[in-house]
Amino acid sequence: MINLQSVSYVRLGTQDMERSEMFATRYLGLELAERTRRAIYFKSDQREHTLCYFDGDPTDQAAAFEVGTAEDLAAAAAELERCGHDVHLGTAAEAESRKVRDFIAFDDPSGNRIELVVGPAHSGRRYHGTRDAGVTGFSHIGLCSTDVARDEAFWTRICNARVSDRIGDAPLLRINEVHHSIAMFASDRPGIQHINHQVESSDDIMRSWRFLQERQVPIVFGPGRHPSSSAKFLYFEGPDGMVFEFSSGVRLIADELLYRERQLAAEAKGFCQWGAKPDIAEFRDK
Amino acid sequence: MIAIEQLRYVRLGTRDLAASVNFARQVLGLELVRQTDRMAHLRSDHRDPSLTYTTDAHGHALALELRDVESLDAAEKVLTEAGYAVERGTAEQCAERKVTAFIAIDDQCGPQIELVVRPLTSGWRYFPSRDAGVTGLAAVVLRSSRPEADLRLWTKLLDGTISDRVGDAAYIGFDEVHHRVAVHPAEQSGLLAVEFAVESVDQLMQNWYFLGNSQVKIAHGPGRRPTSGQLFVTFYGPDDVLYSFVAEGSRIADRRAHRSRQFAKAPLSFCCWGSESQVVEFG
Repeated sequence: MINLQSVSYVRLGTQDMERSEMFATRYLGLELAERTRRAIYFKSDQREHTLCYFDGDPTDQAAAFEVGTAEDLAAAAAELERCGHDVHLGTAAEAESRKVRDFIAFDDPSGNRIELVVGPAHSGRRYHGTRDAGVTGFSHIGLCSTDVARDEAFWTRICNARVSDRIGDAPLLRINEVHHSIAMFASDRPGIQHINHQVESSDDIMRSWRFLQERQVPIVFGPGRHPSSSAKFLYFEGPDGMVFEFSSGVRLIADELLYRERQLAAEAKGFCQWGAKPDIAEFRDK
Repeated sequence: MIAIEQLRYVRLGTRDLAASVNFARQVLGLELVRQTDRMAHLRSDHRDPSLTYTTDAHGHALALELRDVESLDAAEKVLTEAGYAVERGTAEQCAERKVTAFIAIDDQCGPQIELVVRPLTSGWRYFPSRDAGVTGLAAVVLRSSRPEADLRLWTKLLDGTISDRVGDAAYIGFDEVHHRVAVHPAEQSGLLAVEFAVESVDQLMQNWYFLGNSQVKIAHGPGRRPTSGQLFVTFYGPDDVLYSFVAEGSRIADRRAHRSRQFAKAPLSFCCWGSESQVVEFG
């Protein structure tokens, strides 16, 4: 079994680096960590970077998860090859551009590019946001799946994820105590469905709601509260149509033996217990 | 000083009793206890009533409970000596209000202030008309054309203390809750809003979505007051009276030791989430 420890970073291709940088810093409140000729790196917490925009196609995306050691990485590569996934061994230059010691990359069953990394760089300098959004760190991703049952099996049997709750057939998967690091939703194509950063409190959620509305950033869901994770949330649209989420107060699941996942309805009520209606394709009533 | 036990009820004059009762039940979720063609009594908690509507158009009032009849007699004396026009309630007026005795202070051209003794408490729990999560009548918001005189009444004659100020507006409390009465300077005195506490942020936000879906006009919020820390959403009811749902909010354990703070008169002093209001008094 491939032991994922935590979600590490997201890489997004973009044709408009300027707008992406402006959005990441002025609206998301992330801190510019480094700018190179073809990429910009953003900090959201103690890690050297958790979001990277690079000069490329917006459909060129990758989500990275940290594994333990070089041995774990080698074992993961072998396991993936055995299961029929082509594994790319990261070159030294590629590893450096991801600020990791080593990594491998493969496509999940839906075609989402996944990178498993060892030794993602931590920064000596703590995160200091570009605006006071109260960001405490990059926390999870939504992932599009062309077959949620097949993909749930991949993440829970080949990898070590557990289902914390389901909304309809969409599993919310945890790899540590955080309620979910991957939220998987049915779609007709792969892709990162949303990118979540945690903020300190619900006050920060509401302040960002007002702040973003005033700047005509489309609010696509919320403010609301997830009955699954109990987190208060706000979803909004960024460059290239990527949906970003701020949330606060995600529940932790520590008891692996006794915890039982729940089945929530695949309708607005299953996504929000305050009454918000989602304007997000993957969340709308089917 | 006249010791206040608690805020007891609010009475609102209305042009359309049926519409007001409808609003109170369907939007606020209050429980209708009794109704005649001239008045309606509603509950939000153990107090019976906590909100009254009356067809008497100038019938706005708020009631504060005193400990006993001796306190009421002493209060009558103190207020009369201070120059207020004080009237003792008749037996019929007491029965209408469900109190044993009261005096009315009618000198300050705002809502009448009634000091009541042995007001009715219901032995039965409050059964809401809808699940708004209301836990009870929380506070009253007043406009005052003579704020200094009114604050003297609230804090030098009645035993309220000022918890915080925003500009010349003052938040006054008598118990551990940050405030029970807010007084905002205005051109004309009057009753600006009636506020009901709800269980938690979940109920507050559910109510905000409910109000939106019900086409109730929002006056301010949802937001958080930096003064009291309360979450709030304020909305328009019948007869241009505002209502609020509030949640959370700081407690002041020792009012004597509490130091009030002065906030600037600006929208951010009324809501630290950034909401703005057309209501002049709120920013």
